[in-house]
Amino acid sequence: MITDRLKKVILKELNLEDFNFADDMMANQVPGWDSLNHMNIIMAVENEYGFKFKALEILKMRKIGDLQKAIDLKISDQ
Amino acid sequence: MSFAIDWDKLLNLFLYNPRDPILFGSSFFLFFFALVLFFQFSFRNNTSLRIYSLILLSVFFYYKASGGYVMLLFFVTMLNYFSGKLLFQSKNPTQKNIIFTISIIINLSLLAYFKYTNFFIQIINDLHLGNLDALQIFLPIGISFFTFRAMSYLIEIYYEFIEPTDSFRDFTLFIFFFPTVLMGPIDRSSTFLPQIKESLSVSRASIGIAVFLLSTGLIKKFVIADYVNLNFTSRVFEFPNRFTGTENLLAVYANALQSYCDFSGYTDMALGIGLLLGFQLTENFNRPFKATSVADYWRRWHLSLSNWLLDFVFKPVNVRFRRFRKLGLIIAITTTFFCVGLWHGPNWTFIIFGLLHSFYLVFSMLTQKLRDSFYKKIGIKKNRLFRFFQIVFTLHLLVFTALLFKAPSVSDAFIIVEQIFTFLKPEVFPQFILAYPEIFGLIIFGYVIHFLPDSLELKTKELMSKLPIISLAIILTLIIWIVIQVKSAGMQPFIYFKF
Repeated sequence: MITDRLKKVILKELNLEDFNFADDMMANQVPGWDSLNHMNIIMAVENEYGFKFKALEILKMRKIGDLQKAIDLKISDQ
Repeated sequence: MSFAIDWDKLLNLFLYNPRDPILFGSSFFLFFFALVLFFQFSFRNNTSLRIYSLILLSVFFYYKASGGYVMLLFFVTMLNYFSGKLLFQSKNPTQKNIIFTISIIINLSLLAYFKYTNFFIQIINDLHLGNLDALQIFLPIGISFFTFRAMSYLIEIYYEFIEPTDSFRDFTLFIFFFPTVLMGPIDRSSTFLPQIKESLSVSRASIGIAVFLLSTGLIKKFVIADYVNLNFTSRVFEFPNRFTGTENLLAVYANALQSYCDFSGYTDMALGIGLLLGFQLTENFNRPFKATSVADYWRRWHLSLSNWLLDFVFKPVNVRFRRFRKLGLIIAITTTFFCVGLWHGPNWTFIIFGLLHSFYLVFSMLTQKLRDSFYKKIGIKKNRLFRFFQIVFTLHLLVFTALLFKAPSVSDAFIIVEQIFTFLKPEVFPQFILAYPEIFGLIIFGYVIHFLPDSLELKTKELMSKLPIISLAIILTLIIWIVIQVKSAGMQPFIYFKF
């Protein structure tokens, strides 16, 4: 389940008013989320949560739910 | 009159002949495919026999194209199958990284050795770093396609997107599958492997769509690409100095169209053949010249390759350099398009082709915000006329770079451009149309068909999926008859074979 905190970061980065995110949604199903600004979103998430993802952790993300899972895992490791 | 069988000649049909691979559309292919269909439907209730017979015939198909190098394909199959297993079983990240790196290096080394050794030698000689003789190296047909297909399997296991298959048989078919082994599409194992075990049931709708794809493929390849290439484009590209700028300009437009018709024609046929065997293969084209930008073009042209490079080159490089923001993106785009160029062949023309495309994309990315706000300000962002202008402008960027695909060298490409800009004789244009009405007509026909609404294609497919088998057979026979009439000039090899 996508948290409000993550949702806020993504909406701000994509200049969106609101959007219904689902765990099994692919990035390209979200308006404006393309391969060119994918890294901006990842970096905005890293800034928000104060950690850095490893390269492989980012590459393993396929769906929006994977991003949330990776964040949860990082938080529990901290 | 006696009827004697020439056994030697008959036997030779089944032996490797470098000048005689089984090309889609050849009479031997019809015999071969009839054999494939016979075995597939005879063994439709026995999955194992059905798959093994398909593997055997696919091995034969590749043997006919590359002879003893069929062993290389077996090696690639074994390497990636067992590496995939090891990679999955390994729980230690360091061990995992080592297995992955070694396997990828072996795959890339094979590709580098067979395809690029002489290019590297030429670069060493040109830079005066040595004086080496070129080596006699056979280029196994389709090596870029099957190596990339095999590597995607490994990378997806490494990223934990998929689990390795337990069936060596299925993996062998994934690598050897004859409709895709020579020229793609570069299917992902995650979409291909699950289809193997499904029982063979080809619906009437599938047959209708397959006949549609075979028909479009045959027309694109043999009626448009081959005819225009043989009778016009090749002649101009071989000696551009002998023709005025007008003919050079027309040849440049014709070349872009024929490159598309050649490759997408092959893909249509591969997709159609796949459907008749119960496989839904990856779509490779979506009317690329309708693109409103170069980025849009790469979402429409050779999709299985562009998605491969996006996932396995662009993304890792972009992730690695993400802290550099836009510079990181520029590095990722340039690296990816350098790979696009190099993938197509060991020639500077291809590398410059890739770099030009990266320049287009970087320029577009850097000016995107500025252009968007400007378009909004003057109120043309959603204007249909403006969209039309974007398509025409993009088409010209693409047509211009496509000439690097056919020109034998960069200097030849320059001669063509020079002829267009310094020796354009408009009065030659009507003379050309009068002298070669069929060539001009085919170029216009090709572009017009390309720009027809997508809904028309969908409606035609829908209609054909409902037609009775007899009508489909008549349509296909008619198309084959037309192809035979046009093919009298001789068969051209598919441009993409050499990749």
